[in-house]
Amino acid sequence: MSKMIQFTIDGRQVTAAKGESILQVARREEIYIPTMCYLAKTSPSASCRMCVVEAEGVDGFVLSCNTPPTEGIAITSDSQALYTERQNIMKMYNVNHPLQCGVCDKSGECDLQNKTLDFDLDDQSFAVADQRRESKVWGVLSYDPHLCIMCEKCTSVCNEVVGSEALFIRPGGYKSEIDNTFSKCIQCGECISVCPVGAMASTDFEYTSNVWELEKVPSACAHCSSACNLTYEKKHTSIATLGDEHIYRVTNEYDHDTLCGAGRFGYDYENRVTQKDEDAFAIAVSAFENADTIRFNSMISNEEALLLQRLKEQFGYRLINKEAKKYQEFMDAFTSVSGNSLYSADLETIRKSDYAITIGSAVSTDNPMVRFALSVAVNRRKAYMAYMHPIEDEMLRNLVTQYVKYEVGSEEGVLAMLCEMIVDEKAKESHKAFFDDLDLGYISGESNFGEEELELLKKKLVRRYDPVLIIGADLINHPNAVNIAKMAGMIEKHSAFSVMIIPPETNSLGVSLICDLDSEEGENTVGYNVAADFVLSALGDGDLDMPALSQQEGTLTNIDKRVVPMNAALAYHGYELNDIANALGVKSDHVIDYTAELPQERGFSTVRFDDLPNHYTNVGEEVRGYYLDVVETEASATVDVISDIREFNGSVIYRCDPLMQFNPFTDKAHQIIDEAFLSGSEQFAVAARIKDGERVRFTVGEDVYERVFKVDERLKGTVALNPSFDSSENYESYRYNQVKIERV
Amino acid sequence: MSKVYFSTWRGEQISNVGKAEDAWEESAYNLPAQYDDHRESKAFIGWDGVALFDPDVDVVRLATEYAAQYQVYSEACGRCAPGRWGGRILYDLLDKIARGEGTHDDVTHLKEVSNSMQLTSKCEIGKTVPTPLMDLMEHFKEDFDRCIDEQVASKHYDTEVNYIAKITAPCTDACPAHVDIPGYIEGVRDLRFDDSLKATRQTMPLAHTCGRVCPHPCEDACRRSNLDDPIAIMELKRLGADYETDHGFGFFHPAEAKPKGDKKVAVIGAGPAGLTTAYYLALEGIHVDVFEELPVLGGEVAVGVPEYRMPIDKYNQDIEAVRDLGVNFIVNARVDAEMMRQYEKDYDSVMVATGTRISKKVRCGNERPELDGYWSAIEMLDQVNLFEKYGIGEEVDLTGKTVVCVGGGFTSMDVVRCSIRANAKKVYMIYRRDEKTIIRNTTYEEYHEAVEEGVEFLFHSAVNTINDEEDVIKSLLIDKFELVPDPNGGRAQLVKIDDASFTIDSDFLIPAVSQSADLDLLPEEWELEMTSWATIKTNGVDYMTSRKGIFASGDCEYGPMTIVNAVGQAKRAASVMARYVESGEITLTDDEIMEDHLRKMRVYDKKEKVTGWLPGIPREHSEVLDVDERKDNNKEVNYGFTQEQGLSEAERCMRCYYIAMIAQ
Repeated sequence: MSKMIQFTIDGRQVTAAKGESILQVARREEIYIPTMCYLAKTSPSASCRMCVVEAEGVDGFVLSCNTPPTEGIAITSDSQALYTERQNIMKMYNVNHPLQCGVCDKSGECDLQNKTLDFDLDDQSFAVADQRRESKVWGVLSYDPHLCIMCEKCTSVCNEVVGSEALFIRPGGYKSEIDNTFSKCIQCGECISVCPVGAMASTDFEYTSNVWELEKVPSACAHCSSACNLTYEKKHTSIATLGDEHIYRVTNEYDHDTLCGAGRFGYDYENRVTQKDEDAFAIAVSAFENADTIRFNSMISNEEALLLQRLKEQFGYRLINKEAKKYQEFMDAFTSVSGNSLYSADLETIRKSDYAITIGSAVSTDNPMVRFALSVAVNRRKAYMAYMHPIEDEMLRNLVTQYVKYEVGSEEGVLAMLCEMIVDEKAKESHKAFFDDLDLGYISGESNFGEEELELLKKKLVRRYDPVLIIGADLINHPNAVNIAKMAGMIEKHSAFSVMIIPPETNSLGVSLICDLDSEEGENTVGYNVAADFVLSALGDGDLDMPALSQQEGTLTNIDKRVVPMNAALAYHGYELNDIANALGVKSDHVIDYTAELPQERGFSTVRFDDLPNHYTNVGEEVRGYYLDVVETEASATVDVISDIREFNGSVIYRCDPLMQFNPFTDKAHQIIDEAFLSGSEQFAVAARIKDGERVRFTVGEDVYERVFKVDERLKGTVALNPSFDSSENYESYRYNQVKIERV
Repeated sequence: MSKVYFSTWRGEQISNVGKAEDAWEESAYNLPAQYDDHRESKAFIGWDGVALFDPDVDVVRLATEYAAQYQVYSEACGRCAPGRWGGRILYDLLDKIARGEGTHDDVTHLKEVSNSMQLTSKCEIGKTVPTPLMDLMEHFKEDFDRCIDEQVASKHYDTEVNYIAKITAPCTDACPAHVDIPGYIEGVRDLRFDDSLKATRQTMPLAHTCGRVCPHPCEDACRRSNLDDPIAIMELKRLGADYETDHGFGFFHPAEAKPKGDKKVAVIGAGPAGLTTAYYLALEGIHVDVFEELPVLGGEVAVGVPEYRMPIDKYNQDIEAVRDLGVNFIVNARVDAEMMRQYEKDYDSVMVATGTRISKKVRCGNERPELDGYWSAIEMLDQVNLFEKYGIGEEVDLTGKTVVCVGGGFTSMDVVRCSIRANAKKVYMIYRRDEKTIIRNTTYEEYHEAVEEGVEFLFHSAVNTINDEEDVIKSLLIDKFELVPDPNGGRAQLVKIDDASFTIDSDFLIPAVSQSADLDLLPEEWELEMTSWATIKTNGVDYMTSRKGIFASGDCEYGPMTIVNAVGQAKRAASVMARYVESGEITLTDDEIMEDHLRKMRVYDKKEKVTGWLPGIPREHSEVLDVDERKDNNKEVNYGFTQEQGLSEAERCMRCYYIAMIAQ
């Protein structure tokens, strides 16, 4: 299977692994073969036919994108005959293509434009009767079929990577065009990013700028723990306000990497502060001097987290970040059984898996990159995908092979049943008490996770070689989280499964590794982007303004356990946290001076910020920042016997944000518009005796909510969704709550 | 042999231009000069050339219309740059010349575009459409020149001419059910398994089944074998089918069923032919009642093909897809002549699809069905499968027993492998011919899996006599044969070897040589015409029996044959019946007439040299259960392709679509 194939391209000896195409090898070897339809991250659509090559001894041309090389074959990537055919294809692409480059968004970075020039074409040699077609606007994306060259990149990415199967080809020969099943479209904009011409355009960006006028700032997305690579593209808005720059759009390395809608469209959350407010700063410094507690959330860079830790070390502040604390406790318990400081899976593990279980995560909205990675696994490897969650996500129907709908609150038992199925005999010895106590009948009855469902899961595990278990925030925030984490650790150590524990917020993982977090608050609090007696806020609603993450340099620790750099897209003219630290006596010139000081004992490296790489290789290898080292410890703890399963009755709500919404920053972005509704199924409405459109009140913990209730057709069952993106708090409590709902 | 005026078909160069009609040279090919029983063709044009049957054909218009047919085809495709724009340019330029507005530059452009399409199109249609066009432009240059030089329309530009076109492919043509094979493989390549399954179900409702147990005659006609190995066509079908069940989707039908009208059809037998008839009639909005003798649905595939080869839950998915269209099933309903008479009155038409459920005798000495241990293959497999799949009846336990099966086809393979699974002490297969023939009659995999599981094959052998003690079989006398070539060059003869006979102990003799049809249900006074094989006779085209309104398809018509054969017959019959119940007429569509013409001509050309593809890319093989993991149970033996295998196999498919067109 792993035999390498030796062959030559243009006389150069090269090697291909099984499954590699001639084109992939050429790209790896930096041999240029032109393409119009090839998208590295999807399987080839083979529509453009530009990538034809010559193979010695073979009559005719061979397509390089979908043909694997054979042993010893001599490939020629360029010749006069090939040039002529490629030129002819470009002539055809130019048939009736509107000559509107002057106003087209794509002009300057258009593949059609570039290759037309490359192939020396200065007129349209063929013409056929033109046709009238309708342009379409599908939310964030606008489609102009006149410009479309039917390369199929958009449909491939929508189907294979995004997994929503919204875009499809409406065949019609010369009249072919792309259409959209809009109800399935998740508005991620992947189609826009991969379009080689101006056909798929951003509705918002369209006709606002020539692309060559935009200044590119490569950075990392700060909306969720995937911290995807992206490039902010910005310019000044008018001559009158030179220096007052705005981000016009976000792009990415679309050939290899993926962005969700929040990353692509949720970029304008900066805090526009024109000057330093010295009075507010002085008050802030004294607030810090008087405070004994710093409250903060995980929308923070590693460097600022370290800075807070230094302040704690110097002045004894209590550091309160309940969500990160919960994650830290979970990871500690996990480590105590697995013996490793970090979970082993990353997004690439998921993409390459052939069997995936997600448990306790509303994957679609919690972390879009996990969803996209699952989509790739299902499409590329026909991965068996089990979605274990009390609420079925209809949007994942084409990905999920088995829904396991367990009862709210039964997560510990459900995972225990999985342990019984997954782990090896050694684990059953080491954790004997746990297994001896396990009563599958009881758990199955209480959790509604049937033993036959477990049997099916087990049956489907046969001949699967790369299984992965993905654990979401429902488990991390569970009342029995510590024991759940131990079970996860046992699975990691004693099974073929790789485990992923999705960090719930942007930098939960970084904060949990860097900060020594406290549980109890003191008397006087200052808050960084969260409520407190004195508030520093990047949202501009606090006592002292702070820069948003798009205005900061620093690093984030992402879901891949990778420390990735962020660059400041926009200038910030006010004070930042480092200024306060300096005033308090914790000195450094720049906050990024802390990058090299991140704790090595927790796996960080001493690389300086300016030395962090941030690019992709020709074959799509991600070279961004660095990976955390795994710290090995003794795996001494044992899993405890599980607790009785608590029943949730009546109206239950689930903390869950809509697509593309993560926090007040995404909410601030002008293209991402949502109202924070309580949404539930028709069944929920009947049970709770409320109607669509009614305003309701309910209490969760200490928070009283008043929201409009909406019936969502896609939802089933008796749990309603209560969003949290309109609050800066990072929640640590269990995501489900039994509530009393009253009409207001 | 066809009489032609001109032909470049398959490389021949026949021109009778200017010759007297009785001096015309004939084509070497069986071309469709006679369209149907009352219409003649004037020209045939296709992927490999053009033939004119009449000197009066307007060749410029013929070329234009062929290009126009390509446009119609690409309305359904448009999936590559050369095909999408090239085809349009071809048509525009040819039409410009034909209507008398062309220039010689247009001819140059036509050649340039044709050349590009031939070299770089994604599918064979784009590569081959220019071929006959170039032929016409070369051999009838003066006709094109006249239109250009004199700026006049071609001679019949405005005459009403009937052009009939058909898309085919070598594999599709060879498949008895004419499945759109390149279409469903494209669905796999696009990772749109829903589209893949819909493509299959256009003509083949039993996708789960024929993705597993089809003998795949299509693979013998796969053009890829001209280059290296044929595509694993059958196994790729399974991917779309498995997608439907893996994700718990309902059913992917090829089209929405028409609303139910007032027409009713009775189908006798719920095997592949009956199910297929019901499926396509239901899609046409016809009410269907299916009567099944057994307590379970599915016919021989359910009670004949064992679980390890064809899991019943997968077959049931196919059956449920039929039910999903509103078909009504009545089980435990053995139909007799009296009922048939009644159905003829109650229904607008009746389909007889009762299969062949009587095992034929092996024709040896002392062959008495009442002997203890004499067990027909059909009965044996019924008992095994009814118990294993449905829990009906008693388990077959052959512990300590020696089983001898006489056969050589699929049924006998099922018998011996089921005997192994029923824990028989020893299993023999007696076969008159050799190993090569048994593989040809079944499959390589089937034979080798049986050998691995411990079946002993006795080739060139036949049972001479059954030895019994008090009507209980004890042993068998086996004769050995050898193949003696005919000195006159005829077929080699099997000749018994003297003194080579031997005896084997045996508890069971299971005849699986062939089956015959049980046709007691046919009222005698109908006097239905029968074949010499004692099956129901039809013309093999519309599948109506000698009695109006009574149709027959599947094994009871053809004799014991494959699932896909039954499906192909029943699909055609359903199409004819759907029109018959409305109009009372037996008709074929143009598409069906063309389908039959192409089948006669054979689309696949074994000698064709394939260009533009890199040879030597190996065919994928799916993983099968190890012999120890499978021989004592009913686990499905074949795992099917992994996604990577499926994709790389799909990438090997060359999409050999072709357009054929007839001018009348």
